Amino acid sequence: MTSTVLFYLLSVVSIVFALGVLFNPNPIFSALYLVLTMIGMSLMFFNLEAYFIGGVQLIVYAGAVTVLFVMVLMLFDLKKEKQAFTKGLFSSLLKYFSAGALLFMISGASLMSMGLMTEGAEKAEPITTKQLAALLFTDYFFAFEVLGIILLVVAIGAVTISRIRGGTHAK
Amino acid sequence: MGSDIFEISVNAVKIVALFLLMVQIVPLLVWVERRGSAFIQNRFGPNRVGPLGLTQLLADAVKFIFKEEFIPEKGRAFIFYAAPVVALLPATLAFVSLPLSAPVNVETFEMFGQSWGPYTFQFQGFDFGLGIVYVLGVSSLATYSMLMAGWSSSNKFSLFGGLRASAQMISYELALGLSIVGILILYGTFDFKTMIAAQQGALSFHFFGEMVTIPFLPNWGIFYQPLGAVLFLVAVFAESNRLPFDLPEAESELVAGYHTEYGGMKFNMFFIGEYGHMLVASALMAIFYFGGYNIPFVTPEQLSGFLEGFGYVGTTNSLMTSFLLHLCMFLKILFFLWVFIWVRWTLPRFRYDQLMDLGWKTMLPWALANTIITAIVVFVMRM
Repeated sequence: MTSTVLFYLLSVVSIVFALGVLFNPNPIFSALYLVLTMIGMSLMFFNLEAYFIGGVQLIVYAGAVTVLFVMVLMLFDLKKEKQAFTKGLFSSLLKYFSAGALLFMISGASLMSMGLMTEGAEKAEPITTKQLAALLFTDYFFAFEVLGIILLVVAIGAVTISRIRGGTHAK
Repeated sequence: MGSDIFEISVNAVKIVALFLLMVQIVPLLVWVERRGSAFIQNRFGPNRVGPLGLTQLLADAVKFIFKEEFIPEKGRAFIFYAAPVVALLPATLAFVSLPLSAPVNVETFEMFGQSWGPYTFQFQGFDFGLGIVYVLGVSSLATYSMLMAGWSSSNKFSLFGGLRASAQMISYELALGLSIVGILILYGTFDFKTMIAAQQGALSFHFFGEMVTIPFLPNWGIFYQPLGAVLFLVAVFAESNRLPFDLPEAESELVAGYHTEYGGMKFNMFFIGEYGHMLVASALMAIFYFGGYNIPFVTPEQLSGFLEGFGYVGTTNSLMTSFLLHLCMFLKILFFLWVFIWVRWTLPRFRYDQLMDLGWKTMLPWALANTIITAIVVFVMRM
């Protein structure tokens, strides 16, 4: 009962914050709304009794990734970039295309997940952290390693770009 | 929260009491900090108002409350007001989840013509079974208060302070997270109470299949993880923005950093947040490396048996055991709080590039090495 009420409350709050990310004209307010959305997501995990994932969501997304977003946005004055992204045929095409693709993916995902929850179904046992780790290092070992390599490539790429003379603004 | 009204009300009162414990220790710590700094620098410190200058705190509190409200002209009012609140939240949420003593067992008793069943009350606000992951997750949100304060003040020194704070906290969070992996491998759990239970009695460990016991040392984490303990201590200094890592508020460069434009109670809330972080860090240090609420060489069962010898049984016995263990925990916490103050008035501030070098080029590799070596040693010793 309590968890159902909390679920709807948290969903509404998270959706409102997510819309705030989209519709706020000020990039810094958008980023702060993103933080609140991430915290809302983590609370959803806590509500679903997936405590470990909720905690990791807090550490990684709310605590580290979005801090970087907010920090970088505060460092720059983003008037020119905002203008550059609002005008132009190519960028508007890109925008419409990506919005359409996202909409397609979201509707597909929600269509596919309908009917998964049946009435009166037994509640699954919450997975402990040890079971999670065992799964990660046995069944999903390949995916785990590939993700690690992708992250390594991204890190090397970032260092390489920053070492070019003039940084990202090199001509 | 609980099954009946008694359990629910006790748990609710407990959370409020733990919050008040955190908030009310701040004025005393401010007094200790001012008197201690004076002692270190061969001065007197506040000694005029009341006995030992203790009522100075009351005067300060009144001054904080009655100060003028002020918002910078071009500042963002909402974020400017929100930042101090956000500063207080993470420390509070983290502190309330720490176990400060052994659980209290209450036996069946009669009240209001009704029988109330046996209860077990944990000596902590709440417990997800997540332990350190929850504490790290919540306290990583503390960065936002500094960023929000720095940006909404529309003052370049404030903004510099906020940006420095976020860069520093992200950098040191990595070293902090890695420095405790060793102790997590050793105890094989995230849960604080299991860790504390593993640190009872005298130092004893498996050494190639044999049990080795050293009777004159307590079974504390620091004897297994000395490097981890040092790295953890340095990283929590950086995380709570205390000297020698207080670059976000370096007064010789940035006036007062991110809280330059704050005054009165709003400034005080940043202060409480900082002391709250110190409190959480000291408690974590005690739990990980100094046996938590264990009295050295004495297990809680022995203590309870000792008290039984004086005729205390049942609920009274459990309450007294818990209280004595809590006293022991708090002595450890107070010692580390004093270390925080002691270091602040002893060491000079780092330069910014030195700070980043220390974080990324020294502490991170050492923490990684500590993790790998601990993993190998634990694997070999337990074969």
